[in-house]
Amino acid sequence: MTAEQLTRPAATFTGRSVRRKEDDRLLKAQGEFGDDTPLARPGYLVFVRSPYASARITRIDTSRAAQVPGYLDALLPAEVEELTDPFMELQPPPGDAEVDRCLASNGVVRFVGEPVVAVVADSREAARDVAAAVVVDYEPLPHVVDARVAIEESAPLVHEQVGTNVAFEATYDWGDVDFALANADHVVEVDELHFHRFSSTPLECTAITAEYDAGTDSFTFTGGFATPQLAVLNLVGALRHPASRLRVVSKDFGGSFGVKINNHIPATAAGLLARRLGRPIRWTETRTEHHYAGGHGNERWFRNVKLAVQDDGTVLGVTYDALDDIGAYSRYEPLGAVIWTQVANACYQFKHVKVRYRSVYTNKGPVHPNRGYSRMQHMWLVERMMDLAARKLGFDPVAFRLQNYVQPEQYPYTTVNGCVYDSGDLPRSLRTALDLIDYTGARALQEQARGTGRRIGIGIGSTLDSGTNNFAQARLLNAHIPFSGNTEGGLVRIGADGSIYATTGGVAFGQGHETTVAQVVADLLGVTYDEVHVQRGSDSSLSAQTGFSGSYASQFAVTGIGAIRNAALKLVREVQLVAAATLGATPEEIELHGGTARVITDPERALPLAAVAGIVHFSPAELPPAVADEVGLVGRAVYRAPFELPDLERKYGNLTLTYATQVHACVLEIDEETGEVSILRYAAVDDCGTPINPMIIQGQVHGATAHGISAALFEHFGYDADGQLSAANFYDYHAATAADLPSFAYGNVVSPSPFTPIGAKGMGEGGGAPLHAICAGIQDAVGEDGIVLESFSPPERVLRLLRGHNLEKARVTR
Amino acid sequence: MILPPLQYLRPRSVPEAVDLLSRVDGSTVLAGGQTLINMLKLDLVAPAALVDVHRLDELRGIELDAAGTLVIGAAATYREIAESPLVREHQPAVSTMAGGLVDRQVRNRGTIGGNCCLNDPANNFPPLLTALRARFRSTGGPIGIRSAEDFFTGTLATALAPDELLTAVEIPALPAGTVVEHAHLQLAADSWAIARAVVRLDVSDDTVSDARVVLGAVLGSPLRLSAIERALVGRPVDATLPQAADEAGALPIDTVDDLHCSAGYRREMAHVQLRRALRAAVERSTDVDR
Amino acid sequence: MSTDEDPHTITVSVDGQVEEAVVAPRTLLVHWLRDALDKRGPKIGCDTGNCGACTVVWDGLLVKSCMVLAAQVDGGSVRTAASLCGSDGTLNRLQQCFSEHHALQCGYCTSGMLMTAEDLLDSGDELTEAAVRRGLKGNICRCTGYHNIVKAIRAADGQDVDQDAGEHEG
Repeated sequence: MTAEQLTRPAATFTGRSVRRKEDDRLLKAQGEFGDDTPLARPGYLVFVRSPYASARITRIDTSRAAQVPGYLDALLPAEVEELTDPFMELQPPPGDAEVDRCLASNGVVRFVGEPVVAVVADSREAARDVAAAVVVDYEPLPHVVDARVAIEESAPLVHEQVGTNVAFEATYDWGDVDFALANADHVVEVDELHFHRFSSTPLECTAITAEYDAGTDSFTFTGGFATPQLAVLNLVGALRHPASRLRVVSKDFGGSFGVKINNHIPATAAGLLARRLGRPIRWTETRTEHHYAGGHGNERWFRNVKLAVQDDGTVLGVTYDALDDIGAYSRYEPLGAVIWTQVANACYQFKHVKVRYRSVYTNKGPVHPNRGYSRMQHMWLVERMMDLAARKLGFDPVAFRLQNYVQPEQYPYTTVNGCVYDSGDLPRSLRTALDLIDYTGARALQEQARGTGRRIGIGIGSTLDSGTNNFAQARLLNAHIPFSGNTEGGLVRIGADGSIYATTGGVAFGQGHETTVAQVVADLLGVTYDEVHVQRGSDSSLSAQTGFSGSYASQFAVTGIGAIRNAALKLVREVQLVAAATLGATPEEIELHGGTARVITDPERALPLAAVAGIVHFSPAELPPAVADEVGLVGRAVYRAPFELPDLERKYGNLTLTYATQVHACVLEIDEETGEVSILRYAAVDDCGTPINPMIIQGQVHGATAHGISAALFEHFGYDADGQLSAANFYDYHAATAADLPSFAYGNVVSPSPFTPIGAKGMGEGGGAPLHAICAGIQDAVGEDGIVLESFSPPERVLRLLRGHNLEKARVTR
Repeated sequence: MILPPLQYLRPRSVPEAVDLLSRVDGSTVLAGGQTLINMLKLDLVAPAALVDVHRLDELRGIELDAAGTLVIGAAATYREIAESPLVREHQPAVSTMAGGLVDRQVRNRGTIGGNCCLNDPANNFPPLLTALRARFRSTGGPIGIRSAEDFFTGTLATALAPDELLTAVEIPALPAGTVVEHAHLQLAADSWAIARAVVRLDVSDDTVSDARVVLGAVLGSPLRLSAIERALVGRPVDATLPQAADEAGALPIDTVDDLHCSAGYRREMAHVQLRRALRAAVERSTDVDR
Repeated sequence: MSTDEDPHTITVSVDGQVEEAVVAPRTLLVHWLRDALDKRGPKIGCDTGNCGACTVVWDGLLVKSCMVLAAQVDGGSVRTAASLCGSDGTLNRLQQCFSEHHALQCGYCTSGMLMTAEDLLDSGDELTEAAVRRGLKGNICRCTGYHNIVKAIRAADGQDVDQDAGEHEG
């Protein structure tokens, strides 16, 4: 078998919509989610939280709480300050003076819902009663809830010791925007746009169990940790405890979508208490707590936006000032300040991009990297500007996009900042989407609706789902962060009985990793899908993880699968060695097929995998020593994404390996009297390269579509002037139900990536396409009457659009 | 999410329930629990004891009395009301409305009594029952029966004393030719009511002989718009009727800005829904004639 | 348990098994099922009765177990999603359809969703797309976008649904 044949196995399972391995236990209510694990002698942890957006803590009194039957312990801020080190900050000075711990530090609370005291009791009810008996006195301080105000000189500081509310600032300047603006035929200007604050709000709120074993001085944390090794790193730093004695486990995991990346923070408090009490600690986050403190998506203001356009419709470039409202603590931020640059060009052939970007603290819930993280915001802005420019300059919105898209023949396409778009066919994706909504028919419908009290609008949303990060981009944020590249781990082994077992470093929270891993391994090892057993969830003690292991940034199909492939290929080599020695052939003459290792030219000479295992495990003396020394039937491998360090000076270099495409189109109907929006038709076209499981891909597209539509029409984490969160539960924060959404038309284009092992691309986040499409659809419906400059469109705002909203904020200055 | 400490009491009869309510300090009625238990989870209320009435036979049941008045037990669930042949036949607006409330699970538990006693402006029953001239029977207090206007006293308030128990809602028979229509604006399929208008027209000889116009979703709801009601009486039931809403000028409604929308929008939408309810009532009336 | 509360002894049939227990009055049914009986079907996803992850059947009625006190179900019977498959663990038709049509991703909403779906199927109502969507109003999912859930339920109802996601292999 040649190396060529080896790397492209007969695709019996890969590429097919096989039923998922996860389904059985989940359908039978036998999954084990964070709060499912039965525990002996649990201590239940409840956080007492700040009711103020900004305040000094003047008194904490737990004496009454300690009298409540069932009370076990209380952890106070002063103890946390003594026992833990603050979490690592990514930003350079002055932002790195921020102090972040699992309980409010330095006597100050900075957002409503910030944890102040952690109490433990022996039952859920007792824990509630203990928490209710804790007395905390506060002295309210001035607070700021608008990033535009936070950057002003007079604004109260969220972190006094940082000296500014700007956690990080950078200017990105590629090409020559000033020249383009000075010389372009047209310039379209918009004063201000706003991308609102929302989050994926996974259905399972976080549930963490912290256990400490005194005998081995080791911690085990079980729960949803989307980036386990980073969680380990953070816990190790905070708890001052070695990583060799700290284990992080996830089993079944009810959605993360990025927001659960910071679970090490509450886990730290749980860990301290587990060690102190000598019993396992369970923290079960409530929905309300999750909305206050579980992480919001980036809220961003775009100001002084300018687009340079030529007479023939060519868009030269874009510039704006960005204020990213990151809330009270930075955490994974301000990586968002850099990550958006992965898609600086969005879907278009811009040659000039200039952005002044500031990550700004406010006294609101901290931002976590929510689905579409930071790229979605930029692409929304670009898509809005493209849409507006077409309208203002008299171009057809479809033709304008088609013309300016990166063209199929241009791939791999290097963007203004040196990112490389691997492959795609945006024009085809768009045409497919338009066919799916019957674009011509929709235009006719639009005409017919005029004057009937309803308006029809057709919207297009083009976006990219960049996947597999080059972590060197963190150096663009802070040159001292020693990160670069990206790896994922995988392990495949054959047990003593011939059974096949695979473990991945990825962390599944619904994406079907057990399934896709099994599909790929089955094909490589020549066995059936059913014969491959895949570890449920993740376990940091199992050698399958690398530093960047986890599920985030739309990458598993590349990194996770890549590592599994490499691991499986190592295993294949070992099987070949054993079979060759046993059957009297050379390793290159051995192929794996039908559960056996057999001689290609004489298939009757075959050894079942179970026999191979039997020899290695129980009869190694039968093997030549050289083979016996090499073979253990455990293939552990890493996939390394091919990256280099970017040019930090020019902020130039490839930051992401793959770019999946999403093009969505919608037909909306607006009630002219109320501003209500209904979706008449919705189509999503995705292109994520070579598919591993088409059914799973389509499911991800549906999910991202629902999230985006719901965010565009229903979801908003609004804060009032007092810094109080107004949508602190599922009654006030409306996550779309089946009754709110239509069925989706789906289309699929396949542009394999030239950069990945099998041409697959990461996907799943979705790039926010529904937000772009729905805004465009509303714009199309309101026509010249108003300008859509906000990502959130509740009926009242739509009604205002029909009556002249924002007209003064956009103009053609040339 | 965890409830505060409380007692759970399950009386076996209405007199026992009333006795518990008066004897046990800080006790409150538990019917379907679809609101109360959530309020307990969020620490919005802390009653010392819950008196569970949801299974009391005397409070369930849906009957028609000799005068054609529909009598619905206070603990009748939304689903029972929606599926009752008596309600469908005699008060179709009530069964249609009940069948669309919230979701399947909640309809199996939520009760007409609980809905009315809460009198949340977002609720559907209070404005509809006011338009239908419903009466509210209770026990344990000095007044055994109240009109809707006397029963609903303000936002989240009814005339019931703490020891009083609502036992039934009576809905008088609709004269022939009466139409009842309602229109509402909700921000999503199962979600916050921004505006709600219920219109009831008693019609004879294609003319409005009596009218009830009631708003929900405003402060102080259900709010009867008596001026509009008077303006409707005597008018022909035709396409000009909805103008009565506009002729009345600004509606006397009290509302505030909140997280979902501004007071101005709410006010405007109340007007829009009122017009739509009137239009629907006219259409229904003229359809019925044909 | 707090001394304010008189505990209640309850006898309940849960998934066909009679259970006797002593519960605090304030203990929610969902917590009792999960913590005392390790019933993992009913789950908690919110604190306002919106999400439906806790959906069970109590005395034949579909209810959200987060809005019922354990004490209330004394003398009654409760069925959770664990009761749906055969005693040998074979998936029932509805569950098969969910798997076939990829109607679950993370699985957290699935148990509640299955109970509601079963209720819809048993109702005898005509299960148009609109009717199914209305029927699912009380069950939130954040992964699937509902599209495949609606399909799976209609397939379980014997309707012909598009197989546009490609072939489905076991």
